[in-house]
Amino acid sequence: MRSFERLGYIADRSLATAVYLIAKLRKPLLIEGHAGLGKTEVAKVLASMLETQLIRLQCYEGLDVSSAVYEWNYQKQLLAIKIQEGTDQTVEEKERHIFSREFLLERPLLQSILAQDASPVLLIDEIDRADEAFEAFLLELLSDFQITVPEMGTIQARHIPYVVLTSNRTRELSDALKRRCLYHWIDYPSFEKEMRIVRARLPGIEEELGMQVVRYVQAVRQLDLAKPPGVAETLDCAQAVVSLGSRRLDAEVIEETMGCVAKSMEDGAKLKAAGTNKLLSQTS
Amino acid sequence: MRQEQSERLAASIVEFCRFVRMHGLSGDLRQTLTALEAAKTIDAGNRQTFAAALQAALCSTKDEWDLFPQLFAAFWGESQSRPRSASGERKGPGNTQGREAGSSAFLNQHSNETASQDGEGKAVYGASAQQRLKKVDFSQLPCDDLASLEELSLRLLRRMSLRLSRRLTISNLADRVDLRRSIRRSIAHGGEPIVLAYKGRKPRKNKLVIFLDISGSMNLYSLFLVRFAYALQARFKRVDTFLFSTNVVEISDLLRTRHLPEALRKLAQRAAGWSGGTKIGESLQQFNQRYGRKLLSRDTVFIILSDGWDTGEPEVLAAQLRSVKRRAQRILWLNPLLGLKDYQPITRGMAAALPYVDVFAPAHNLESLLALERFL
Repeated sequence: MRSFERLGYIADRSLATAVYLIAKLRKPLLIEGHAGLGKTEVAKVLASMLETQLIRLQCYEGLDVSSAVYEWNYQKQLLAIKIQEGTDQTVEEKERHIFSREFLLERPLLQSILAQDASPVLLIDEIDRADEAFEAFLLELLSDFQITVPEMGTIQARHIPYVVLTSNRTRELSDALKRRCLYHWIDYPSFEKEMRIVRARLPGIEEELGMQVVRYVQAVRQLDLAKPPGVAETLDCAQAVVSLGSRRLDAEVIEETMGCVAKSMEDGAKLKAAGTNKLLSQTS
Repeated sequence: MRQEQSERLAASIVEFCRFVRMHGLSGDLRQTLTALEAAKTIDAGNRQTFAAALQAALCSTKDEWDLFPQLFAAFWGESQSRPRSASGERKGPGNTQGREAGSSAFLNQHSNETASQDGEGKAVYGASAQQRLKKVDFSQLPCDDLASLEELSLRLLRRMSLRLSRRLTISNLADRVDLRRSIRRSIAHGGEPIVLAYKGRKPRKNKLVIFLDISGSMNLYSLFLVRFAYALQARFKRVDTFLFSTNVVEISDLLRTRHLPEALRKLAQRAAGWSGGTKIGESLQQFNQRYGRKLLSRDTVFIILSDGWDTGEPEVLAAQLRSVKRRAQRILWLNPLLGLKDYQPITRGMAAALPYVDVFAPAHNLESLLALERFL
């Protein structure tokens, strides 16, 4: 917990325990929670805490093996075939040559398996965006930590990576995957915790102003917006207020920084409807 | 001594795992093992850490995460870290038997109400009956025909889903060169890529969300529309079905079965408020809040089956449909009343909804349901 704090990440006991367990049990950790609450940050901080490399795989719809695991360098292969044309190598030798490590492009998952000197931290970000087929593939990888390249054979991990998965819960993950993972739910922070985060991240900010911003964002969260502001938005907002040179939050500043908190037209309208003055009254 | 103590702790943890499983957590043996390992690596004397470790090991969704502290407190006692005898804990929280009464109406009322009717649809038999049955309005159906229509509908709808999936594979032509395979093949020709391999576009199945009105005015149609939903499952990557009147009930899990009659029986038990009033807007709002983000995406077709008799505010309906439309690919509104000759969509709700609906189609008989093939 303290070593997290030294790195500027405020963690509560339950998150600290979960992270401790990743290291001890060597099990993947699945972190769920709303956007902007520092899910991705956990992996980054874990990597710098363990002083190891962070390998990140950003998931998206249609993510496939060739961009997640490995791909052959086709251009180079074609050239190599041309160069070999004159030589008297047999077809088998040629084949072995162009399907050697030299021509292999390593993508994040393969990188994490091939890490040479220490276990890396593998961050699989927003796993809920990838499709089910990829999830099934991942399941296999997470249980054996080996990858089979048909042309080369099976590659076994030398150092089993620490795995952190994050999900925004846009769809339910498969039971099999969830069972394999430790679980942590990140909720919106309490006032005290959010204040500590603001202090850690924006050391220059005045205490009074920080408190106002945090109270303001926390009030906005109660408004039932389509996309409630996360901690990232709090920090943005505080940063914006400081940049505008204001020393305290007033109606004008709230108006100007509305884009930091409400991220769609409807949310903006709702925020206005709630009344800046009413929100302001909750900040002091 | 220490050995004995840690064995006792392990036994308690196993007991605890069984306890939480009984109260709604979905954990299996693997998670129990994880919990044991976790407890070994941390300082089990610190209650907070101990709870956090078990929570990380045993939960796998937010609901479970939220439930956990309560279960932990119930089992391990409020403050001391020693378990109470587990046998006394069995009643605990989470008595989720649900209401049993209230809703066989869906299955029975149908035949009661229509039994006496004798207009358009007399009991019909034989081969020509099939043609006829396809055109009979569900609400005009005598109960003698019910069984045969049910069977026919399932068969025809199933055939329709089959046809749909075939159509997809045929259109799956090559469009890009697959470099990987081409190179592989070229080795035989000394590196000259003579035979090109192509990468076809993978047929992407759509997802389907069905939103089914079961209020009083729709009662006569609901049964068939549930069947419709059931038959469509074969064709789509994923079908999620919801019933609504003034509330939303998810029934996707019930329909994911091979045995439909059984599912229908359970369904009647689950849905409360069958044949009540309709609040489409409020129901959609509930849906959007609870399931919207999870289920709606660019490849989702959203089907509403309702007659549009709405007792809620039309503005709410319009706003909620707008937010569905923003996320989903298409909205289909099927209205059984469109089968009536002189029907005009002028009910307040319907009028508010129409601007957001991509396809507005009838759904009063089998033929009209089968015609939907075009839009899916």
